[in-house]
Amino acid sequence: MFCEKAIDLIRELHRMSDGQLPAFNEDGLRQVLQEMEALYEQNQADVNEAKTIGRADLIPSIKLRHCCLLRNQRCIFAYLYDRLLRIRALRWEYGSVLPANVRFHMSAEEVQWFGQYKKSLASFMRSIGGKEGLDITQDMKPPKSLYIQVRCLKDYGEFEIDDGTVILLKKNSQHFLPRWKCEQLIRQGILEHVMS
Amino acid sequence: MFITDLRKNFYDVVANQRVALLVAADIDALCACKILQALFHCDQIQYTLVPVTGWQDLSTAFLEHKEQFRYFVLINCGANVDLLEMLQPDDDSIFFICDTHRPVDVVNVYNDTQIKLLIKQDDDLGVPAYDDIFRDDEDGGDSGNESDEGSEPSGKRRRFDEGAIERRIERQRAKREWEARRREILFDYEQYEYHGTSAAMIFFELAWVLTKDTKDMLWWAIIGLTDQWVHDKITHMKYVSDIATMQRHVSRHNHRNEDEENSLSIDCMRISFEYDLRLTLYHHWSLYESICNSYYTACSFKLWTLKGQKKLQEFLADMGLPLRQVKQKFNSMDITIKENLRDVIEESSNKYGMKDIRIQTFGVHFGFKNRFLASDMVHAAAALLESTEKEQNDTTDNFIKALDSLSRNNLDCLKAGIDLAKKKLIAIQQTVASCICTNLILSQGPFLYCYLMEGTPDVKLFSKPLALTLLCKYLLKAFVHSTRNKRCKLLPLIMAAPKDVEKGTVIVVGIPPDSETSDKKNFFGRAFEKAAESTSSRTLHDHFDTSIIELKTEDRSKFLDALITLLS
Repeated sequence: MFCEKAIDLIRELHRMSDGQLPAFNEDGLRQVLQEMEALYEQNQADVNEAKTIGRADLIPSIKLRHCCLLRNQRCIFAYLYDRLLRIRALRWEYGSVLPANVRFHMSAEEVQWFGQYKKSLASFMRSIGGKEGLDITQDMKPPKSLYIQVRCLKDYGEFEIDDGTVILLKKNSQHFLPRWKCEQLIRQGILEHVMS
Repeated sequence: MFITDLRKNFYDVVANQRVALLVAADIDALCACKILQALFHCDQIQYTLVPVTGWQDLSTAFLEHKEQFRYFVLINCGANVDLLEMLQPDDDSIFFICDTHRPVDVVNVYNDTQIKLLIKQDDDLGVPAYDDIFRDDEDGGDSGNESDEGSEPSGKRRRFDEGAIERRIERQRAKREWEARRREILFDYEQYEYHGTSAAMIFFELAWVLTKDTKDMLWWAIIGLTDQWVHDKITHMKYVSDIATMQRHVSRHNHRNEDEENSLSIDCMRISFEYDLRLTLYHHWSLYESICNSYYTACSFKLWTLKGQKKLQEFLADMGLPLRQVKQKFNSMDITIKENLRDVIEESSNKYGMKDIRIQTFGVHFGFKNRFLASDMVHAAAALLESTEKEQNDTTDNFIKALDSLSRNNLDCLKAGIDLAKKKLIAIQQTVASCICTNLILSQGPFLYCYLMEGTPDVKLFSKPLALTLLCKYLLKAFVHSTRNKRCKLLPLIMAAPKDVEKGTVIVVGIPPDSETSDKKNFFGRAFEKAAESTSSRTLHDHFDTSIIELKTEDRSKFLDALITLLS
């Protein structure tokens, strides 16, 4: 049946609905494009035939193939666009350096797009908030306090905070630190925010 | 040196600094730590909290953190030993010590620069006067005199010789006398170990002076005080007077409750003074189980004998409580029975010789279901702190769990703690019963001795200091009730239990004799040290309480013999 492969691509993205980025399905995309090419050729041939010979009974099949082409195009656009949205969310979650396994799943063009998105976000952040700019990727929810209490889940070693002081992060020690320094480590799972 | 104004000399000093908190592993320290953490959160003082379980832990923690921190706050550790000698800190490290262990080491008292003691001076400290112990100018004078004499020309020296020799002999005699007296004074001062005002209460007072005290902090201070009473660290008189102090704070916080129109919502925390029964955990258990497993009632009835069991049944019948009700969970008991329960029990227990079945304490309730007495929380937190549930449990893991259970929003942690505490109490009761019935307690002359064999059920629970101390206390009380020997009733008890089977060590605990007017002063610390030295047994005096040590199993008998000779 036509358009099945395009639906497969969509289903693949739908399966990972929590925002994870699956590997770029180049094969699938190529197959869909091939199918579109085949349909287009057939349509071209039929249109020429219909025009020259005047066979009006070819018109429904031309219309059918045209619909399939449009459907395929729409599916591919949705696939690519959804991936871009996910990649954009990654910038907000992970920061400007993506972990290697995620980068492996992106195609070359997507990597390029990511680089340009990063640049435009950075220039925007520089332009607001006075001289040094404002990092709006921190504090996604309004913070309740400047400092938070964190507990160390694994031995990490020494950790330097803004004013140069070094803290030794040992398992099960608790610390009261500035929020912005801890967020990175909380995401990595080394510190745990303790609410009391 | 002692700090009297905590706000000016402690809090304001650390206000803009980063502080390292080194906290010992007992409930009073945990409560004091929570209060201090809450204060630090208010004022955004950055800190790092490190749990320590013994002197070695303390030294390691200090070494790791000394580069990064200048101010160290030690809670319930460090006062009874010469801290500067043990840790060898740099000159700019400052230690704030809030410790209940007494006697405070004299070096810590008289050091003006690096050691600040957050201890109330009206606690009967009895610190010897400075001049009785320290005498550093005399030696310099001595050697100066001698060198003077040496440089005099030889002719004159012969003439002054006799006078000079006499003076020197006189000086040396005075010095020896002074040193002998100094040794005596220090021996008297350091002989007995006891405990002072709860650290949690001291920090609560600091919070009150800063007007930053909240009901949570008040509750933690109450738990800290109750911990000292449950684990028998302070005398009954001191407990009652401290309760009176806390009662003043509680009534101050409770004045809003009396206003009928703007009364607090049911979810707010309410602390109330209770003159409640001395039955451990009875609100979270059935009344019957609680009576069987609380040491006061179990020892008074002698529940390890058949006669005792019969007496208990009589007691319940006397009060008119049906067995079916009494064995049910307390919360599901008939409401008519629960209403006058305390008075009914008090009346009946007077007939059976239990005059102090009721004790002054505090209770908290928030929400419709959550009602806890201070002693419930102490037992739950202590059970969590020393839980042996998982094999690989780090002591710091347990510390964190126990710390969490003290917060109001970690109720499942607290409930888990209560379950563990129930198991612990049942285990203690069974061990006490078996020890008494099999006559495991031997009188060794100057003290009683009991050794838990390796195959005893639940012996792993008793490899921890707090649990073993509780067992000791109950065992001694039970023994006093069950023995006919008048002399044995006044003896202290030493107990040994296997600590680590692979390394072959036992943990040894000594407690003072059980009496009504006991001042809870424990001389076993020094005794253990001397006995270990004289027999060169392999001991580890790692715990902050000097009366708890670790010993190699093979050295047990010679250590005991040395102790017997020492103390008789």
